[in-house]
Amino acid sequence: MNMKRLLSMIFMSLFLIPALLFATGTKEQAKDSAGDGIITLSVYHFLDQTDKTTAPNFQYLVDVFEKANPNIKLSFEYGYGEAFHDKLQTMAMSGQLPDIVLLYPGERTSQVTNAGLVQDLRPYLSGHEDEFADMAMQGQGKNGEIWELPEDISITSIMFTNNRLLKELGLTLPKTYEELLAQGPAIRAAGLIPISIANKDAWPMQSCVAGMLVERACGLEWFDKAIAGEARFDDPEFVYAMQIIKDLTDKQMLSPGTNQLTYGQGLDDFVQEKAVYFIDGGWTVNNMVGELSAEQKTYMSLESFPDIPNQKGQSLSTSATAGQGFGMNAKLSKAESDAAWKWIWFYSGPEGSAIRQRFGRLPAYNLAEPKDADPMIQKLVAYAGKVPMGYVMDSVLAAEPIGTFNINLQNMMFGTKTPKQVAQELEAMVAAIGR
Amino acid sequence: MTFSQQKRMSYYAFLAPGLLLFASIIIFPVAYSLTLSFTSFGGYGTPKFIGLANYAKIISDEVFLHSLRNNLLIVAISVFGQIPLGFLLAYLLHRKMVRNGNFYQTMIFLPITISPVVVALLWNQIFSSSGMVVAIIRRLTGENQYVMRIFEDKQLAIVPILFVLLWMHTGTYMIIFYANLQKMTPSLLEAAQIDGASESQMMMRIILPSMVGTIATTAIFAISGSLKAFDLIYAMTGGGPAHYTEVIAIYMYINTFKYYKYGFGSAASMIIVLLAVGLILLLQYISRKFERRFE
Repeated sequence: MNMKRLLSMIFMSLFLIPALLFATGTKEQAKDSAGDGIITLSVYHFLDQTDKTTAPNFQYLVDVFEKANPNIKLSFEYGYGEAFHDKLQTMAMSGQLPDIVLLYPGERTSQVTNAGLVQDLRPYLSGHEDEFADMAMQGQGKNGEIWELPEDISITSIMFTNNRLLKELGLTLPKTYEELLAQGPAIRAAGLIPISIANKDAWPMQSCVAGMLVERACGLEWFDKAIAGEARFDDPEFVYAMQIIKDLTDKQMLSPGTNQLTYGQGLDDFVQEKAVYFIDGGWTVNNMVGELSAEQKTYMSLESFPDIPNQKGQSLSTSATAGQGFGMNAKLSKAESDAAWKWIWFYSGPEGSAIRQRFGRLPAYNLAEPKDADPMIQKLVAYAGKVPMGYVMDSVLAAEPIGTFNINLQNMMFGTKTPKQVAQELEAMVAAIGR
Repeated sequence: MTFSQQKRMSYYAFLAPGLLLFASIIIFPVAYSLTLSFTSFGGYGTPKFIGLANYAKIISDEVFLHSLRNNLLIVAISVFGQIPLGFLLAYLLHRKMVRNGNFYQTMIFLPITISPVVVALLWNQIFSSSGMVVAIIRRLTGENQYVMRIFEDKQLAIVPILFVLLWMHTGTYMIIFYANLQKMTPSLLEAAQIDGASESQMMMRIILPSMVGTIATTAIFAISGSLKAFDLIYAMTGGGPAHYTEVIAIYMYINTFKYYKYGFGSAASMIIVLLAVGLILLLQYISRKFERRFE
């Protein structure tokens, strides 16, 4: 063999080896390898395993399921926060998506759903649609596909209120925005925070405040038009909603240094009774169940943000979306798909939903009001039953416009962008990417 | 096969495994990333070729320019802060100018042994709005709305991070310089002392010139490390608030993994590579000039 040929072979192999390495990394073939009739399915779930409330609650559900289905073994892998999404993308791109995977109804996991990597659950769900909240049964794909069965209804904006502090300060629950602003000086003078909210991660202001204010300032009809391209995000009513966030900041109604506070600090301040109001999503009730004392639970209530001047939306309205849920890999065999569906149906269907409701969640599956549940859960269920619901912005807009919008809200709060600029940039981005 | 051919063959045979590994984990990903950077690839489907559009968009993006500025500040604090300070500390320890040198050596080196995420949490606990320093100031002044506004200033928000980076990495350079100082022949300094050289003369005429190579090497470490800075900053601020503390690696990460712009993110990563290579070449040019001067 001459030297040139040898060299070219070496270099060819240098470039082929990586491809071979990637090619050999195929999907794990667990399944019924032992031939004992037990189907093993891999599951990728969003869970903070250090969370002393959520992690044991989830494990309880798994134990109940596996006891009832001894022929199905679930092999879990967990991710949390951005790391969950990073790994999900890597799995999706390398063709190693687990058998069952937690997905989101909006754009958050669109790289998996839009790529056709998961099954449409409608054939399995057929006949059970009416058992779920309408919001949970809205199509998630372009043709109305249901990629994941929503576990919860996420109310993203609740104004948790400490009525003991209100009473001590001689104040009452504000009916209007002006009344709320007027309470600010008295609350601050008492060394307290008017509205606790932690926005270092940038999404809370959008998800827990902006969506609700857009519903109030613009109304649901306007939002439908904006999504359809018949209204614009730089319309005056949308700018007005942004202006309210700016006013709340300028009038020191929010936690001092809110953009420096990590998510969770808002709840801490409220639980420690350093804040009169606390704006966050309904999922927080899950933590409140464990963190509030029995006495505190008697005077903490769930309220809506007060009416704003020239309100076009409905009084007491909030923002809500169908939550995440499990979907299944498109490559599963019939037997594997049936086993995967058993878990999905258990988790988001009547059985799992009843358990999760007891743990403080608001299941998408329609259940009777829990009589023996924790007082905070009863308050959440009662609240969900009485308030009108608008859109959550990050569930209807794409990742990049929302990411930029979140950051621009921080810019606006720092005074480096005006409410109008924030609105204009959102409109420009949404128009460029497509609605 | 002649002897020289056999010899050459054996070179290639020994080189091949290492080269293969290098190609698999470095050359292939870089080449793949370079290819992707010319596309609008969004994670699925066929990548669409768009030429230099990603690069054009990046260099006209205000957020990227601010990230680049932050990276250059980190390079500056590394090269002109960590290295001189590391050298100075090593010099003080080597010349036994402080008592209990071993204790200080351990304390200065300690930060680098802690995970960057832990370091970030630690500093956040101290300086955040709910942290220790703010709580003390609020108590002392009675101003319960007090917040450290430096973290909300576009130009200054990076400063606390620069301070933490200085605190964290100076120890590494100190150890490198300390090891190199110990390699120096003691008789050289003793002879200078007998000849009446002052401490500063010994430093400038003997020690520093013999350290040029080490300084150049540490500077290369500092530059390449600074340009890919990610973990500590991401854990401390996530690049926020409002992109104020963002660096190019975070810019790339957000665009790739949050916005699913793989082509765009690849272009940003190629810019990091180009910057690192450019700065290192410049540094090598400068250090060669210095070496010649001291020869």
